[in-house]
This record gives sequence, structure tokens and C-alpha cells, in this order.
Amino acid sequence: MDVYCSNNVLQARRAVEQLRLETELQRIKISAAAEQLVQYCQEHRRADPLLTGIAASSNPFKDKKTCVLL
Amino acid sequence: MGEMEQLRKEAESLKDDITAARKAVQDLTLQDHVAGTAVVGRVQLKTRKTLRGHLAKIYAMHWGTDSKLCVSASQDGKLIVWDSYTTNKVHAIPLKSSWVMTCSYAPSGNMVACGGLDNMCSIYNLKGKDGNVKVMRELAAHTGYLSCCRFLNDNEIITSSGDCTCVLWDIETGSQKTVFAGHLGDCMSLGVAPDFNTFISGACDFTAKLWDIRDGQCRQTFGGHESDINAIGFFPNGNAVITGSDDASCKLYDLRSDQELITYQDSSIMCGVTSIAPSLSGRLILAGYDDFNCNIWDSLKAERVGVLSGHDNRVSCIGVTPDGMACCTGSWDSFLKIWN
Repeated sequence: MDVYCSNNVLQARRAVEQLRLETELQRIKISAAAEQLVQYCQEHRRADPLLTGIAASSNPFKDKKTCVLL
Repeated sequence: MGEMEQLRKEAESLKDDITAARKAVQDLTLQDHVAGTAVVGRVQLKTRKTLRGHLAKIYAMHWGTDSKLCVSASQDGKLIVWDSYTTNKVHAIPLKSSWVMTCSYAPSGNMVACGGLDNMCSIYNLKGKDGNVKVMRELAAHTGYLSCCRFLNDNEIITSSGDCTCVLWDIETGSQKTVFAGHLGDCMSLGVAPDFNTFISGACDFTAKLWDIRDGQCRQTFGGHESDINAIGFFPNGNAVITGSDDASCKLYDLRSDQELITYQDSSIMCGVTSIAPSLSGRLILAGYDDFNCNIWDSLKAERVGVLSGHDNRVSCIGVTPDGMACCTGSWDSFLKIWN
């Protein structure tokens, strides 16, 4: 789908302006971008409960079973 | 040669320039970079709570910043604020229009908002003096349905609409501060950056756009999807964007290299993605699908590492708590489930 096509001249002019703006973006190398993503995941790995698992005693969503001594 | 033809040629040329600029930074792929990294182990989450009470399809849910309260919206015409630890309903708010498609919890916890086919975003004050929850403001100006809304603070909210625009509102005055125009199709979803300076929108023109909240400019546009983008979110570090589409795939776009880094898809998955959320570290991406399931992806290796099955109808919304402790899924089966 050609997202920049239009019948209206004003819209077409705006689209060209927008494209000019986007062309000027400073892009970093993918190796650097990938490294940062991986690093972030690594650094926060231990603090991610869905990844590490949660002990039953510290899981606020787990019903705590109490023992009743009869 | 008319002006239209000239403009069309210039547009094509600029698009080629952007494609070339993106290619120029492709020194490596994400897959190459993580070739030596192991896939995360199988993630098996259990349903810890089921929130029962809605009488019709649930269309949206959003966690409060305390990671305990959450709000859900259903086409039974109610917004329910739940205490997810106890499953108690803290508020059950009747709506003027039952055709609700989105809801949001203010970061302060003082307000919730919702909207849908009424084309309006209604703001409710949860902390009114007499204890009753009342409509505080009705933000009306969109000429299409309200697909998503997210509070920046108690006085500013961003909405996305079927009229192809997103709007930043001043809640106190009820006026539009900024209109973000540029999408060529219905805007379906939005996500606010962790630093609150930018937001992203996903639309039915198959693109995602990054917007500067203060100056209203579209900074970047991401293509690649082959159908409507229904869901969008930021990677936790704010430097990447994840999207979910009717083309049955999810994608990760890096903002600084301005391109797609990876696609999450499987030949066995043929239905649309309705909702998406990253885990706290970003290593897991949870996505809700039309086939009643939610798939969990290893975000770096693009492999499916878990499934959440338990709903009897489409998973329409998903959210991970700010503290990362649990994920909530909402479904057309009228239930919300909390998993961890």
C-alpha cells in the first residue's frame, strides 16, 4: 500500500514535506541498536518476574493457604 | 507536467532516499547479533485470578500505576475498576454509550477515561467528594470512533481515532491542544513513551508513526506490515516499538536505526493480533490473538516460548503490570484473567 499517494494537491505537498523531514533523520547502525536492546534485556533480566518466576510467598496474586490446627 | 505529477515524482524519490539511508546502516541484523544467545526457557504462566462481572465482550483494559488496580471496558456499557489482588470491584461505572472500545487509567489513579463509537473521550473522576464516580469531561471533536486513549497526567490525554488523527487534549478546558494528522487510515492504537516526550500510533494504513508530543510533528514512519496495525507499544527502554497486526505478525522497529529489526510470526498462526505488551525487561512479548490465545515470544530470538490459553473467545486486550509481576488478558468471553 502506497501510504503517500493522494489526489489532493495540498495533501501531496504535505506528504512531500513530511518525507523530506523523515529523510533527514540521523540513523545509527543496527549493530549499535541491537547491542542496546540486548544489553537492556540482560540488565533487567533478573528483575523481570515473568521471566524468572515468582516465589509463591511473594506472589500477590496467589491465594495464601493458611493451615488450621484442629 | 502538472504539480501533482511533480509532487508524486518527488515523493517517490524521497522514499527511495529513505530506503537507501536505512540500508546504509544495515551492517548487521538483530538475528546475527543474537546468534550466540540462547532462547529463553519455556514460559508457563498460570491463571491466578479470573475477574468475573462483565456481561458482554471486553474490549479494553489498562493497569493503574500501583500494579494492583485495573480498569476494563465492556460493551455491556460498564467500566469496572478492579482490585486484582482480591478480585473485588472497586467501581462499576455505567456509561452513557455502551459502544466502548478503549479505556485508560490516569497515572495518578484519580481518573479513568473511555470512549468508542460515540466519537468522544469521557473522563471520570474517581475521587469525587461525595464518593460517587461522575463524568468530569466529555472530549468531543473527533469525527470517527475513539480507538484508544492514554493519560499523560491529570490534565492531558492523547486519543486515537477512526478519523485518522490522534489528538492531545487539555482536560480542564476540554479543548484540542494538538492534532496529529498524517495517517491515511483509521488510527487503531497508541502508546506513550516512557519519558512522555513522544507517542506512537498504529493505523489501518499499515504504518506506525512516532510523534513529538510538544511540537506535533511526525518524526518517523514505519511500514512493513501487510494489514491493519491493531496494537502498538514501546519496548521498555523507549528506543523500540512493538506492533501487532491483522497480518498475523508482530514486529519490532528500532527508533534510532529507523527500521524493522525483527518479525514475530509462525506459519501455524493465521489470525490477527489484537493486543501486545512487553514484559518488564522487554525480553518477552505477550500478544493476544483472534484465535482465543495469547502467545509469548522471546523478543530477541523471535521464537514462541509460551502460550496462554483459557479464554473461550478472542483475546481483545492485554496488559503487563508496571511492576512486571503479572499480565492481564481481557476477552470477548467477558472475563479478564491475571497470569503469572
